[in-house]
Amino acid sequence: MTARVDMVVRAFQRGFLSCISLLVPSGQRAEWRREWQAELWHVRRACAPAGAVSWQAEREVTAFCLGAFQDALCLRLHAPKNEPRIALLHGSALQCLLFLGGVLAASYGLTLLLPGVRVESHPERYQVRSGLIMIQDEAYSNDWVAATIPVERFRDWETTRQRYFDGLAFYRIGEQAVSAGSHGTGGWEVAEASKNLFSLLGLPVRFASQEGEADAGLPQAILSDAVWKREFGGDPRVVGSVLRVGGRDVRIAGVAAEGGWRLPGKADVWLLERDSEIAAGGRGHVVAHLTNQGRSEMWASYVHIDAYSPDEPGDNLCGFSFEERTRGPWGIYQFTVLLAFLALPAITTVSMGEYSVSSHRPSWSRRLCRWGYMGAKIALLLPIVYFLSLDVAYWHTTLYSLASEYAQLAASFSICLFGLRWALLDQRQRCPVCLRHVTNPARVGLASRTFLAWNGTELMCTAGHTLLHVPGLPTSWFSTQRWLYLDTSWEFLFTGSGVG
Amino acid sequence: MASETKLSHTTALILHALDAGLVYGFSVMEMTGLPSGTVYPALRRLERDELICSQWERQSIADAEQRPARKYYKLTVAGRATLEASRRRYPLLERLIPTVEAKQV
Repeated sequence: MTARVDMVVRAFQRGFLSCISLLVPSGQRAEWRREWQAELWHVRRACAPAGAVSWQAEREVTAFCLGAFQDALCLRLHAPKNEPRIALLHGSALQCLLFLGGVLAASYGLTLLLPGVRVESHPERYQVRSGLIMIQDEAYSNDWVAATIPVERFRDWETTRQRYFDGLAFYRIGEQAVSAGSHGTGGWEVAEASKNLFSLLGLPVRFASQEGEADAGLPQAILSDAVWKREFGGDPRVVGSVLRVGGRDVRIAGVAAEGGWRLPGKADVWLLERDSEIAAGGRGHVVAHLTNQGRSEMWASYVHIDAYSPDEPGDNLCGFSFEERTRGPWGIYQFTVLLAFLALPAITTVSMGEYSVSSHRPSWSRRLCRWGYMGAKIALLLPIVYFLSLDVAYWHTTLYSLASEYAQLAASFSICLFGLRWALLDQRQRCPVCLRHVTNPARVGLASRTFLAWNGTELMCTAGHTLLHVPGLPTSWFSTQRWLYLDTSWEFLFTGSGVG
Repeated sequence: MASETKLSHTTALILHALDAGLVYGFSVMEMTGLPSGTVYPALRRLERDELICSQWERQSIADAEQRPARKYYKLTVAGRATLEASRRRYPLLERLIPTVEAKQV
């Protein structure tokens, strides 16, 4: 047996003892490990005297070490029960953090289960290209979903040289009869759209068919994810087959990504045609991509546009930036968190109370712990706000809608605001020394004597560190709660509390 | 712990070994031939029942001999009474353990 193998075996034996020591109750662990390490040293010397190494000796030493497992198990089984430890946990800072951790895990777990949230968590599916705007009649500037542009006007713009736009696309949604062969017939919401709509928006199309694009004879159709799953059972082989839409044959060229469409209107299928082939009449939506010059003019999310036509009077139009409206849940979350922090002083005081001048004030490390605890609460609260607001917004819906966006906005703001308020209230009711909730409230004084003497509530730290005075009626000389640090003369009252 | 405490044969054997004086776990193993997985848990139980008590060797002694300090066990008064009772119960115990001179810490 070589010295190197001997060294490895020794390291294994020491490591084994260290691992086994984890079974021993923590209060006895250090002494247990010390005794077994000492015994191991003596056993080794007895089995392999004068540094002689042999497999036989190592077997004996290892057999000795294996006995440590039974010893540790015996100590563990006969250890005092943990009721006092659980009692100590009650009302402690750790209990609060564990509770928040549990809520975070539950909200995240729910997030994984809700299909709508799963879609929202993939921003690449719905984020459109930068520099896109939606052009509308200014008379409908408050109604983003209204279809206001006639297709004839759009064709005029297409044929005119544009300084501010380098790409334009039109779409108009209406119900049409669709026959899907063996999959049945029905009235679908059909979006008659410019051929470049999806490429202009930068939206991904799944199973995009090269064959379909090459077939110039038939218009292309992009199925919505919902229709693809509902009518075709999510079969990717449907791409390339022919549909009959409003009396015309069209070829299915792909499937839109789930939750990708964030523009006004809900379509079951997008019929991509040349602009000249889009049926005349009716109004639709126009999407435009800004040139550099156009971007320099668009300094806000809304811009007024004057459209001049040589034959007709000019139109008053407006443009909405898409980036504001397709920012996704993360943008809404950031906005509401900022808003909640700003609104917090309006619903509660942010003061932690006054502290008595005393030599018994907690040390710097204790104070650091206190602020660390506050930071940990907020750090756990913020992801809870994000996940819970998404859960609320997409509880009943699997697809993005304005309603779900507003629901997320309201939920995120409310949960964050009241969560922060709770965090502050909780912090104010915890002893600055041991971070346990102060208890045993006692009314002191009479309300009728507010101006002659103090009245309010006194609470006590069960470990005997502090007394908290909360004024019944805030006055100019006692406006906020005060902490009184107790000196050592109080200790005898709290010796049985078991909290240190 | 009352002197009428009934001990198993193995535990009585360990108690008998400890009667040799201040001894440590490994020496009990050597004296009794029992494995470590039996001796050490038995020592814990005897100590919990206050039949024996333990004491760490002074570090200076261990340092002088260039070895780690050991934990020694010795019988308490109750333990000695229990041992006497177990001797009556297991009369052959005396023959299993050779007489050992008391060791001093």
